[in-house]
Amino acid sequence: MNWNLNTEHYYVRFAHEEDIQNIYALLGTNDVVKNHPKNPMVVEAQAMDEARRMVMQFDAKEAAFWLVEEKATGKVVARISLQKFNWVNASAQLRVDVFSDFKTQSALSEMIYAVATLAYEDLSLHRLEWFLMSADKCFIDIAKAFGFNHDGQLMNFLEFEGSWIDYQVFSLLKTDDVWQQAIKAQGLPQS
Amino acid sequence: MKFVANVDFNGGQLRPLDQSDVDTIVKLYQKQTLAGQSTTASTEHAERMITLSVQMAATQRGLMWAIEIDGQMLGMLSLYDWQPTSLKTLMRLDVLPGITQQQQVDALSTGIDFLAKKYHLRNFSFHCLPTDDEAMMSTIQQVGFIQQACLRDFRRISQTEFSDVLVFNKILELAPETQHEGESA
Repeated sequence: MNWNLNTEHYYVRFAHEEDIQNIYALLGTNDVVKNHPKNPMVVEAQAMDEARRMVMQFDAKEAAFWLVEEKATGKVVARISLQKFNWVNASAQLRVDVFSDFKTQSALSEMIYAVATLAYEDLSLHRLEWFLMSADKCFIDIAKAFGFNHDGQLMNFLEFEGSWIDYQVFSLLKTDDVWQQAIKAQGLPQS
Repeated sequence: MKFVANVDFNGGQLRPLDQSDVDTIVKLYQKQTLAGQSTTASTEHAERMITLSVQMAATQRGLMWAIEIDGQMLGMLSLYDWQPTSLKTLMRLDVLPGITQQQQVDALSTGIDFLAKKYHLRNFSFHCLPTDDEAMMSTIQQVGFIQQACLRDFRRISQTEFSDVLVFNKILELAPETQHEGESA
């Protein structure tokens, strides 16, 4: 099975040893991580630790992480992951860390379509869910534009810096009409 | 060492499971009105559940209470996915026909009050299938649980079939002393 994916404008690939700086640049940017919610990394050692954890979680079949490299520039612009694999219920959680310049429907449609295709076709998953904070209007609009269903909310899901965080839950099923249409169109809606 | 407390409620008691509960647990799990119940429930399963109830409580991963009324076990109130750091837990209520809805409400309310006071838990959830016992869903709503989400096809029920899961939440305000501890930490 090939875990490295190729879209029109991006390589969606696993990280390698030379990617520590790319991970640090991405996850050290407040705009990228603030809606997860998480504090940005402040030293490169955190990126090394994160890279180790990405490998360990993949080896344990708990998660899979891809870095998204823009073909035109060679720059890593995002990290996309499937986390909390539930092999019994055939589900996983989608998570996207992306520089704000690439937090657009057209860019994300390529990345998410590539990973969702692998999830449904190769991993035989049935449900992808995307937990988003209410304040993350951009991602919420994009999730709706792609046809993710708003399943509801998980209140006070976790505590971050003294505040309790609610998550809005969006889901996309393999059997959803919007996904079946995406397969025929070979992509999620770009605008 | 005792890991599960006895808690009195109006007309009954929440108490730890013990070996004398095996037959009742089998009856509860053979009802088929809630997810996880099955005609295949057996004495062996019930005995394992009693052992598990001690292990879960000892490690604060969960807790199981027998609901006893007039000396007779008529149900179970259980906690799963107990997350002490996030002050939250998932709950489950299994009952036999002999218990009234008011007794269920009292047992659940009292259990929540105890958990909030003793362990500072404040975020309680029930995950129900749409096909679950409507009376149980009515009971938890009487206690103040509100449906917050319908997770589509969240639970696999056969090789090719999935069921939605309804998420009900009850969230308590933080106690003043808990807020103070958080601020000074």
